[in-house]
Amino acid sequence: MHPDSLSATLFAIADPTRRGLLARLAKSDATVGQLAEPYDMSLAAVSKHLKVLESAGLVTRGREAQWRPCRIDAEPLKAVAEWIGGFSAFWDRSLDSLDEHLAAMRASQNNGGDPQ
Amino acid sequence: MKTDTEIARDEPTITMTRVYEAPRTLVWSAMSEARHIRKWWGGRGVVNPICEMDVRPGGIWNHVMRFPDGQELRLQFVFLEVVPPERLVWQQADLGSGIGGLPATHTTVTLDDLGAATRWKMVARFRSIEDRDAALTFGFARPIESSGDALTEYLMTM
Repeated sequence: MHPDSLSATLFAIADPTRRGLLARLAKSDATVGQLAEPYDMSLAAVSKHLKVLESAGLVTRGREAQWRPCRIDAEPLKAVAEWIGGFSAFWDRSLDSLDEHLAAMRASQNNGGDPQ
Repeated sequence: MKTDTEIARDEPTITMTRVYEAPRTLVWSAMSEARHIRKWWGGRGVVNPICEMDVRPGGIWNHVMRFPDGQELRLQFVFLEVVPPERLVWQQADLGSGIGGLPATHTTVTLDDLGAATRWKMVARFRSIEDRDAALTFGFARPIESSGDALTEYLMTM
């Protein structure tokens, strides 16, 4: 995959609303109206997010002018999975979780619970 | 990122350093006891259904990671050095064959006592610079490759 495509994918999924849209589309195809339902934002705003997802190749639109259902294309996500799946990324995530776990261990110590 | 990562130019190593706001004995427990390791190994979205560690030189560490798409990765390490609460060294039990698509590594974690805090320093040594670079790009990627559904869920956990 071209590095710029990876950047476009990463940019597209950096936004929680767009990840939400992808999660919705992973269940089934949907129209812009259906996608907008759970959000407190205009159809135009949702369309804007969809355009970003489209240009990253993550979403395709149907041809039917009125419905134009959106469909997820997961292919670019594979490159992201590879990108985030490298050795240092694995450890970055693990060490973040270790930080959270240490906090939990300390809290449990302070509560007189589990001694370690 | 709170973790400082150093990719050596002339050596097949990756060094990762991080300071934890926790006393050294606590960090030692977190990294040397199976019941703690399984809580953080792999990060969010990964569960560790099996983690059995015989923490002494020559002792085996059997581990199974389960990724959000349900795929599992079986790991087996052997402990080479165990110096509580400051130094733990392990390597893949099958070092040399690279079974499971995992790059062969020799890993040393040193804990520095900073009083209320602890510096974690991990040096992962690979067989060659080529292996090291391959690990940076792929390494754990293969088990994650899957359907868009699972991947999207996985990305939602980031």
